[in-house]
Amino acid sequence: MSERRIGVYICHCGGNISDYVDVEKVRQVIEKEEGVVVAKTTIFACSDSAQQEMIDDIKEHKLDGLVVASCSPKLHLFTFRGVAERAGLNPYQYVQANIREQDSWAHTDDKEGATDKAIRLVRAAIAKARHSQPLEPIQLQTTQKALIIGGGIAGLRAAISLADMGINVFLIEKEESLGGWVKDFSIMYPNDRSGREIINTLINEVKKRENIVIFTEAELLSKKGCPGNFDVKIKSKGEEISLTVGVIIVATGFDVYKPKEGEFGYGTEGVITLPEFKKLVEHSEGGEIKYNGKPIESITYIYCVGSRQKEGNTYCSRYCCNATMHTSILTSKIDPSIKQFHLYRDIRTYGKYELLYEDACKLGSIFIRYSEDEPPIVKKENGSLRVRVRDLLTEGEELEIETDLVVLVTGMVPRENSSLTKILKLPIGRDKFFNEIHPKLRPVETGVTGVYIAGACQGPKNSTEATASALAAGSKAAGLVKKGYMELEPEVATVDIDKCVWCGKCAEACPFDAIEKRKLADKEVAYVTEALCKGCGACVPVCEQDAIEVKGYENSVIMGMIEQLIREAQDG
Amino acid sequence: MKYDALVIGGGIAGMETALNLGDMGYKVLLVEKEPSIGGKMILLSKVFPTLDCSSCICTPKMAATSHHPNVTMLTYSEVLEVRRKGKGFKAKVLKKPRYVVEELCTGCQECEANCPVNVGDEYNFGLVGRRAIFIPFSTATPRKAVVDIDNCVLCGICERVCPADAIDFTQKPEEIEVEVNAVIIATGFNLFPGEKKPQYGFGRFPNVINAMQMDRLLSPTRPYNTVLRPSDGKIPDNIAYVLCTGSRDRTVGNPICSQICCMYSIKQAQLLMGALPLADITIYYMDIRAFGKGYEEFFKQAAEMGVQFIKGRVAKIEEKENHNLILHYEDIDNGGVKKETEHDLVVLSVGLLPNPKIAEIFKDEKLELDSLFWVKQVEEDESPARTNIEGVFVAGTAAGPKDIPDSILTAGAASTEAAAYIESSKEE
Repeated sequence: MSERRIGVYICHCGGNISDYVDVEKVRQVIEKEEGVVVAKTTIFACSDSAQQEMIDDIKEHKLDGLVVASCSPKLHLFTFRGVAERAGLNPYQYVQANIREQDSWAHTDDKEGATDKAIRLVRAAIAKARHSQPLEPIQLQTTQKALIIGGGIAGLRAAISLADMGINVFLIEKEESLGGWVKDFSIMYPNDRSGREIINTLINEVKKRENIVIFTEAELLSKKGCPGNFDVKIKSKGEEISLTVGVIIVATGFDVYKPKEGEFGYGTEGVITLPEFKKLVEHSEGGEIKYNGKPIESITYIYCVGSRQKEGNTYCSRYCCNATMHTSILTSKIDPSIKQFHLYRDIRTYGKYELLYEDACKLGSIFIRYSEDEPPIVKKENGSLRVRVRDLLTEGEELEIETDLVVLVTGMVPRENSSLTKILKLPIGRDKFFNEIHPKLRPVETGVTGVYIAGACQGPKNSTEATASALAAGSKAAGLVKKGYMELEPEVATVDIDKCVWCGKCAEACPFDAIEKRKLADKEVAYVTEALCKGCGACVPVCEQDAIEVKGYENSVIMGMIEQLIREAQDG
Repeated sequence: MKYDALVIGGGIAGMETALNLGDMGYKVLLVEKEPSIGGKMILLSKVFPTLDCSSCICTPKMAATSHHPNVTMLTYSEVLEVRRKGKGFKAKVLKKPRYVVEELCTGCQECEANCPVNVGDEYNFGLVGRRAIFIPFSTATPRKAVVDIDNCVLCGICERVCPADAIDFTQKPEEIEVEVNAVIIATGFNLFPGEKKPQYGFGRFPNVINAMQMDRLLSPTRPYNTVLRPSDGKIPDNIAYVLCTGSRDRTVGNPICSQICCMYSIKQAQLLMGALPLADITIYYMDIRAFGKGYEEFFKQAAEMGVQFIKGRVAKIEEKENHNLILHYEDIDNGGVKKETEHDLVVLSVGLLPNPKIAEIFKDEKLELDSLFWVKQVEEDESPARTNIEGVFVAGTAAGPKDIPDSILTAGAASTEAAAYIESSKEE
């Protein structure tokens, strides 16, 4: 073992680490570790120049193990595996020591302790590198077919995009017809086109493509298999159908918030929601908007109903300020004499939508700002609808508005999707919408490889934003299956068939159904389907025979790492 | 040379587009006018609402872009013209001379340590100086030196000290012609110049800085290793943010909202509370636009941490003899009275402006811009990445203000639409 040649790089992370860990001290201590040939510190190990330096060192010193002590492997495992690969070193002989999330950030009050801990973590990583063996990724053929769940604007657009890239699409929609919420929307912002028109355009495009198959009144029953080759069972119009697809895009959309009885007077005649009001606007005739047969002369909008709540829906629903401005402009155009009062908390007409706000102001809408702590009160007195509010814009004046109609500006809520969530094992966020892997850089990918989220099922969005996210999901899905093959991690469970006596405990412990009983050479043993195994290691501790191990994390490796973690720091 | 796609601009949207297309198997040429890719994002400290260190999540994208087998990267290069050829295009790219041989430079910075010139560092928004030969920033990709020839005194010291003999003052501009099937515009935005709002004193009062400068002060690669104010190096303890500087403002010709300033200001306020626990932070706002996923909660968190939010647009800023600043504003939520408040550092939350010069490179067909000079999305409802020129797509803030997630989504959209276009042109 002493013949191993290991390079160790300790990252400053531009101060994120070096402000709390004495990286030079760590370097000096671990330099003397068995097998360490190169030991360096670096300002940003992930930078291109540092990567190049590692490549040069690997080649020059003929390294057969690489350790980078930096951030969490979640961030950079693949970066440095790539470095190893480009230098001709097997990527699985790279080990990352996390001295940032697990050390410098956690111990900002104790520099000495943090430095000592860093030394131990790096030594443990070196121990793992010393035991490391070259591994080869598992290569799998991928099926160039996609399942899209949901036939609203996002699902339809994703289907078209995948079909155009040569991928066969199965689209399932639970309703009788395609189009989701948007097909029932009249004129929408920002381009003054009706939802119906946009959906019809998309449906026509879908029909033109032979490689899109639509199933209506359909749902997903089960999913098995692995990314690149999912075996799914769907049910459409009572018939069960089995399909094999490489990727799945979930585009199940949102639900509208339904106010509770009595919430801002909901349930009282004259108090309606924004979607209900939009229907009245759509059906206006002869320059009049009518409610219960009577022309309306005044409207009071109450914003943030069901959104930005103290408890419950704490999030902002994003589309509603813009949609209300747009509706109010349409209203003014139909009947300029209608008085419109907007009771809001913050107007969030972000970006170019600010122009809608400007137009609404110019057309005579009156804006009244209420405080979160003093929401408006809606009452019906002597047959007339009244809204009481304290206006922060006019020195906190108490106002009472007599109004024909109160429009509650309701937001979007997550759809009830529990069976789908269970089948696909999709992560749910705090807001109960589906959760992406990373909200900044990976907004359409989920924790389940090969399953993507598009449109408002990930969070409130307007139609153009849903379209963009559908196309983005399409690009990620295509990236996975278009090449025709994919590579999976080789760090999977492996069974020593001499030791295995098949007790079944490993199969019970496996959360991915990757282990089953097989007969090999007259002996019943555990068998691991590598494509399903995630290398989580749940099977390892339950095996009384020590017959199952995870490649790269064998018992000897783990024990070697523990030894280094508990060794005295000083004896370096 | 032939490529499937030409991506113009190597910021987050351009990198994401190039990587998406590369992953699908298309050959991509990425052209970046600066000496490094990374755009504006790599210069940020942390990002909202996750408070991820921006270098930590942007550097991997930069490294991935530079190493992707299907992506070719040309930095310090500009697309001079794009002309139609069949369904695709012929493009002319100018590779500007670095006066440094890229293959030889090791990024050791010996030249930088010896160069006698000192000019303002644009990557730190003028907060500190840099040399005439320099590496733009620590995670620059590629990490290669470049000579700023306009400020170089041609003393030859760098040539003598370079251990790799990489300096070459005989380099000439080089024109490269390429053929591509599709073009993606990812040229980003320009920052609103604070001087255009003279009543705020930016450029005249040393302690009025812009938010990009504050992001540099807070970044892990921060120039002073702490937050201090420019006039006297004092650590500020009463910091004001002026939101909507240059946005929602017809007087400067920019009526729209810049979409990111509320959130980046709230982010900076939270970071400042960590960096300077004793400092008071006040945000003067018109409306707080915390509209994205997790944003409202992030805004609430800042308020709970003690950031003060005052509704009122700042009318003007005056400077005292000690370089403290007096803000004049109407305190709308508290009776609408006119108030004056003193702060020792003011940050202008400047907005985003379009980058209309991109239109000039399209020679045969005119690229349409919208009424505010952003690249026009001609089919925003069905195909948000399409421009009026068939085969030319737009990603990121080139089409309008956006935060990072929206830039990523639009980059995804541009990739998909470009891929479909490339496929269709291959069929013919």
